[in-house]
Amino acid sequence: MSLHFYNILGDVVSIIPPLAICPPCPLSPRVLLQRRTFSLDSLSSGPGRPQPQQARTDRASPSSALTHRNLSAVAVSVQDQSRPLGRYDFLDLGEVEENTQRAQLCRTIKRFIIDPALAKLVTHHLGPDLEDSKAVIFECNPGPGVLTRTLLNSGAQRVVTLEGEKSFLPDLQALECLLDGQLEVVHCDFFKLDPMGRGSMRPPAMYTDKLFTDLGISEANWTDEVPVKVVGIFPQRIERSQLWKLLYVLFDRLSIYRYGRVELNMFISEKEYLKLMAKPGDMLNYRAFGALWQMACHIELLHKEPWASFVTSSKYKLAIPKSRLPNDNLCLVRMTPRKDLFSASLTPSNAATLVMMVKQCLAKRKARLVDRLNMWSPDSGPKLLKEMGMQEDVLTGHVYPEEYKQLFELVDKSQEFTQSWLYEEVLENTQKEGWI
Amino acid sequence: MYILYSIPSTASCLCRSVPSHIPIFLCTYSSSLYTCVNSHNNLLTDPPWTSQRRHFSALIPKKEDGKKRVWEQSQLLDVLEARIQQLQSDIVLDVQHAKVQFVNASKSGRGASSGKSHKNVSGGRTELPKKLIQEKTTKTKKLNLKLGIEDKPVKSRKGKLILPGTSKTLKNQEPTAIQADTMAGAPVAAATVPIRKVEKLEWKLNQWAMSASPELVQDNSEARMYEGVQLSVHCYLEACVFCGDIDRAQRLLLTHHRMISRRNLLNIGLYNVMMRVWAKKGSLNQIGRMFILVEEAGLKPNLTSYCAALECMGRTPNCSPKVINRVLRQMKEDGLCVEELFRLCVFRQDERDMVLRAIHTVEPDFQPSINTVLHTCSSPLVKDFYTERADAKYPKLAFSLEELRERFSRQLSMEQASTITIHSVEAMKPVTPHMAKMRALLAEQRMVWHKALVGALRESNMILASITPKAVRLSLYPYLCLMDQKDYVDIMIQSLSNLPPSGESLHILAKELGNRVHNKFCIRMKSHNQMVDKLSHIYNEYAELLAKDSQDFDVLPRERWWKLEAEHSSGPSLLGDNTQWPHTVVVELGTYLVDLMVKHMKVNSDILNPANDRKFIPVLYHMYTFRSNKQVGFIKPHPILTQMQQDAMETTLTFDSYVMPMLCPPVPWTSAKFGAYLLTPTKMMRTVVGANQHEILLEKCQDADLHAVLDSLNQLGNAAWRINQPLLDIIISVFNDKGNEKLDIPPPNSEAPKILRYSQQDLATYSSAEKAHLKRELVKAKKKCSEMHSLRMDALYKLSIANHMRDEVFWFPHNMDFRGRTYPCPPYFNHLGSDVTRAILVFAEGKPLGPGGLKWLKIHLVNLTGLKKRSSLAGRLEYANTIMDDILDSADNPLNGKKWWQNADEPWQALACCMEIANAVRSPDPTHFISHFPVHQDGSCNGLQHYAALGRDVIGATSVNLIPCEVPQDVYSGVAQQVEEFRARDSEKGLKIAQVLEGFISRKVVKQTVMTVVYGVTRYGGRLQIEKRLKEVDDFPKEYVWDASHYLVQQVFSSLKEMFTGTREIQDWLTESARLIAKSGNTVEWVTPLGLPIIQPYHRTRTQMLKGTIQDLSLQITHDSKQKPDTVKQKNAFPPNFIHSLDSTHMMLTALYCYSAGLTFVSVHDCFWTHALTVDTMNKVCREQFVALHSQPILQELSNFLLQKYCSGLS
Repeated sequence: MSLHFYNILGDVVSIIPPLAICPPCPLSPRVLLQRRTFSLDSLSSGPGRPQPQQARTDRASPSSALTHRNLSAVAVSVQDQSRPLGRYDFLDLGEVEENTQRAQLCRTIKRFIIDPALAKLVTHHLGPDLEDSKAVIFECNPGPGVLTRTLLNSGAQRVVTLEGEKSFLPDLQALECLLDGQLEVVHCDFFKLDPMGRGSMRPPAMYTDKLFTDLGISEANWTDEVPVKVVGIFPQRIERSQLWKLLYVLFDRLSIYRYGRVELNMFISEKEYLKLMAKPGDMLNYRAFGALWQMACHIELLHKEPWASFVTSSKYKLAIPKSRLPNDNLCLVRMTPRKDLFSASLTPSNAATLVMMVKQCLAKRKARLVDRLNMWSPDSGPKLLKEMGMQEDVLTGHVYPEEYKQLFELVDKSQEFTQSWLYEEVLENTQKEGWI
Repeated sequence: MYILYSIPSTASCLCRSVPSHIPIFLCTYSSSLYTCVNSHNNLLTDPPWTSQRRHFSALIPKKEDGKKRVWEQSQLLDVLEARIQQLQSDIVLDVQHAKVQFVNASKSGRGASSGKSHKNVSGGRTELPKKLIQEKTTKTKKLNLKLGIEDKPVKSRKGKLILPGTSKTLKNQEPTAIQADTMAGAPVAAATVPIRKVEKLEWKLNQWAMSASPELVQDNSEARMYEGVQLSVHCYLEACVFCGDIDRAQRLLLTHHRMISRRNLLNIGLYNVMMRVWAKKGSLNQIGRMFILVEEAGLKPNLTSYCAALECMGRTPNCSPKVINRVLRQMKEDGLCVEELFRLCVFRQDERDMVLRAIHTVEPDFQPSINTVLHTCSSPLVKDFYTERADAKYPKLAFSLEELRERFSRQLSMEQASTITIHSVEAMKPVTPHMAKMRALLAEQRMVWHKALVGALRESNMILASITPKAVRLSLYPYLCLMDQKDYVDIMIQSLSNLPPSGESLHILAKELGNRVHNKFCIRMKSHNQMVDKLSHIYNEYAELLAKDSQDFDVLPRERWWKLEAEHSSGPSLLGDNTQWPHTVVVELGTYLVDLMVKHMKVNSDILNPANDRKFIPVLYHMYTFRSNKQVGFIKPHPILTQMQQDAMETTLTFDSYVMPMLCPPVPWTSAKFGAYLLTPTKMMRTVVGANQHEILLEKCQDADLHAVLDSLNQLGNAAWRINQPLLDIIISVFNDKGNEKLDIPPPNSEAPKILRYSQQDLATYSSAEKAHLKRELVKAKKKCSEMHSLRMDALYKLSIANHMRDEVFWFPHNMDFRGRTYPCPPYFNHLGSDVTRAILVFAEGKPLGPGGLKWLKIHLVNLTGLKKRSSLAGRLEYANTIMDDILDSADNPLNGKKWWQNADEPWQALACCMEIANAVRSPDPTHFISHFPVHQDGSCNGLQHYAALGRDVIGATSVNLIPCEVPQDVYSGVAQQVEEFRARDSEKGLKIAQVLEGFISRKVVKQTVMTVVYGVTRYGGRLQIEKRLKEVDDFPKEYVWDASHYLVQQVFSSLKEMFTGTREIQDWLTESARLIAKSGNTVEWVTPLGLPIIQPYHRTRTQMLKGTIQDLSLQITHDSKQKPDTVKQKNAFPPNFIHSLDSTHMMLTALYCYSAGLTFVSVHDCFWTHALTVDTMNKVCREQFVALHSQPILQELSNFLLQKYCSGLS
């Protein structure tokens, strides 16, 4: 059911033209944005459900605030620059060329959002109610800060930039001083949080608890509203391992997920997105990785943007990874952990076994599920399948993520499995679980 | 000047005995040194290649690959030439720097132009041929289809045409070839066009072949010989033939032959396999057909083909002499001679006699000449060794001829059985009723499994046999029919008992199983070929050379064996010619067997706990583990099996026979292919599985060039050993008690930390931090357990083998790695092992201590303690004398006394030495005390010694004891001191980490890094080493460990740079050369001063998928010579590999000259062992050989070799 819905989303979103054609007139982006929010909103509520009219009326106030700030943009040229900026002052994004040059000077290889239109689009997707939302926005590696300023311009209440590169810090810190608490700048690399190695901990590597304590964000219940939204681009080379790492800490509720259902709004490569969303039956791409993410999170594709729209820091061209799957874009993907992920039978303490079970099952997609189950506990396979209402000969690659979760809940209840080596195995594959 | 080995005062005293070397060496070079340094500096500040690089890049655009390669080649040329200039400047006293540079400058122009022209030739070379061949084959195929000619009818027609009688066949060979051509070409006029196209392509191909240098073509053909397809087809055919399935073999060859695309992959060797089969059957017709096929495939019959033909005629009664004459004539026409046939062919069974019989029908007087002329090794280093034999007194073994022969027959029967079962040392424990019950249970289960597996194997074989294989796909079937099913199952059951409780990766398990099958097959093959009798015969005569009660010989073991083999030339050749199976076959076969095990080995689930439901459950599971995002297929034993095995504590261990030391002196290496064990196949050069570039290189070598290497291996292998029984008993008692981690005796599993099980309920009460802690503890405990298990098993194997050999005298056959470093072949128990195994071993032969022996024993003891590193030898001796009470106490009450020995660096060896000293001093006259004890002489940072000598680095040489000094120099302390200076300076500047480190920099912290720097340790690895050391220092603040190690490794590197200037330069030159060689598409090769060819087998990784029923395996192959070289590895590995090749050369030289001096000598790389009596002689030989080795123009020769090898196309 849910998968079907993702598919539609993917199709519809691709209809939206890239922002590059947006004219510089101050009014038109608003029109465009509204059209967009409408089209997306109608989708995110899922097919078949009646369209709630209320959603649209709610948005009236933020958009008027937005108008306010946009109007102040006209006035900014005549304003006195020395006074501290208020929340309705428009921040100048700077020249595109200058920003590009600055981004290219970065010593590590990264991609940056420099195009104001792209920044606007991302901001919009983080919305729609940036002004009223209580969620803190974590922006990863902002670089010259185009997106940071755009977020603030759209009225974001609290933005935390996590910048790993020292050279960008002074500029961001200067901005921090200008503002009235809406922006906090931290020297930290989101992708180096809670490292596994034993090297000395110094910025940009950091422990999450230090980061969150410093920011005054406390642990929250799993069912609470989203406390933090993270926005950024996954570094290309460690994309897959980062996604795995996040997956592990999510199921164990460690690292950032100790603080509640942190929502990711990240650019990932198209091929990785397609793998993430692969459906049962797609024997080549449906793997443990995707199944587990789908199980844990509500995943939305917000936008596709061609690789070329991003500025790369390296002077060499950062090669776009080849793949059998289409890989022409970076995809802005929202991953919101499901409220109902944990239950009485699935808890963060036994979730590692679930992860192991799914990995074992999907290592070979054309194996029969019943064989796998029998391996863990002889003769229990047919019984379990019957309970699940599944066919005897179902292949592991045909089982939906939700079904794996149910299966695990049954397995965990059954006495026969407690002695199984499946539990032992969790202990042996610890290399990826060193996060606290 | 040469005080090589750490004991410096030896050096100073012995130096006086060989003074002549000092002036030659030092004076010549030290006077020139300063001028040289200058010239070096000039070259360094503006290295010639940088200026030329600029020049070239302007001349040749980088873009094109071919051009780039040429450009790099010429760069290489310049680097090499620059080095030659440097070296020349080292030697010539009056160097004119300007001239050097001038010469270099003029090179650039020539290099560029020649490079350019070369490009034109080579440009198409890489791309064109493959494409052409492809095009050609597809076109031919299409053409044949068009003409309606199928391969098959053509052949059968031809077959019929010529079949009646071979005489006709052989005579008609040429005409048939023409006939075939006309047949293909004649039919329709329309076909002429495509034919012309094909011809044109062919012509192009020829053109290309002609333009390529002859050496290249040869290389190609040789590489092709070993190409995957040929090898797998060859092994398949051999396997089919061995199990008597000749039809299958013939069918396979014919299918390949019929498909043109496949036919091109075949070589003459494959046809020969079938010819030999038909020769055995005496079927002349079939032989004739094979000759036609060979002709048809465009191949030339070689010696083996003619050999088979003659053999067949020999077997045919009343074969007409005319036919035989024709064959002989044909041979001559092909440029082959009959003498060669007897010299080069490998004969099985009675093949030789049959060939001879055939020849005798036409030439009754023919006798193959026995070539008794021995060529000697050309290296000047060993000239004396081979030519001046009058003074040599080669050592004899302390056995009578009778004893040796008896030992031989025991070894032979052990190897024939291919496995051996011995009692483990745990057998000494009392048997509890539970253990007895479990043993019975396990034995019973084994029977059940054995039966089930035999049945399953038989069934699956039947299925495999009935499947008609797809045209060219090679099935596993013949490999499964080589032996009885029961033999395969024995192998499988054996692997079950070695399976660790945490499981084993499928790949490794499969490889083990596959290799066992191959081993067994090779041994069977040898007895099948009837060579065992001949081997016994020759060995029994050979034993005379070694036995104490027979005459003296003035020949080396290799020469003796060679002569005996030549004298007994009739019968089968001793040289086995069976090929190593391709790695894929080994793994595939293994996977197949594992699959059977997983599917068919079952056990009742209530076997241990009646409370469980009775279910039939598999004993082994296949599952995956995930290692850093890679999934690895794993085979795990069911906990029930592990439980049974642990409870039963079985007291027998089954090993492959080659795991045991040999019971008789090993067969001497007479060529790179023959030596060591009697039947078990052994490679002289250990390589990564599947890498064959070394073998090709060794085969190309002149026989005589390898003699020195072979002889030194033989000498190391001929050292007889026996067990130090009192010490073994003590160790076993500790082992069977509770082990002792401090003394390196691993405790049993019962001492392992308990793995706590926690229930979900308990967990809920913990906070997340506590849970994380709990989890970490659990993981740690688990890791510790599996580590302890593997350590325990390793010790169990070693001690059990030692215990089994307790009353024996035994030998370790030796082989070497690709750099020439020597190793004993038995893997677990050998003198290269840990402190424990070294302590258990003593020489079988005893020698009196003599006047200086006791002194050496005492010094050796002090060396083993690790104390008094900075004292002279006299100082150490004095120290030993002051602690005699402790020594005697240790010897008398090792476990209950003051335990002085337990604090030594190498406690067990120290204890053994204590006992030896105690026995010696208590004997009536210590000088006549017979000692079996090996005394070690250790190199002091051997790699740096070689570098210092190569670079004529005076300061460096002093610090590694190459120059006599009052007190021993210690390079590690030197570096530590230098680092401390840097630190003090930085600390003053206010660097935080430098201040933190105050008082923590010691010899120990830097030692390992300094030692490994010469072997190419990187900053990364060096930092890890230092981090480890710093963590051991208790009061060092833990939070600074990372920063401190990072800082220190930098300082160590810069200190070394300061102390060893020449070393750095040489290292850089080697690295740069290797980089350019690799970039130009070649692998780095060189030849050691003793003539051993070396090649670095590092290539880019290729992945090969293996389909299997359990899972697909992907094999990472890093040695495929068809892949481009791995530049990073080639370049990083060259300096350390080169230094290793030098230190191995030095060891071999020492071994050889020690042999002619009658010494017992063995080595652990740079640590040399001999009797206490002969230490002085060995030290003298060692020093002399070091000087001799470095008196050779080593770098110059390397440079010449590289120039000739990689740049000859350019100049």
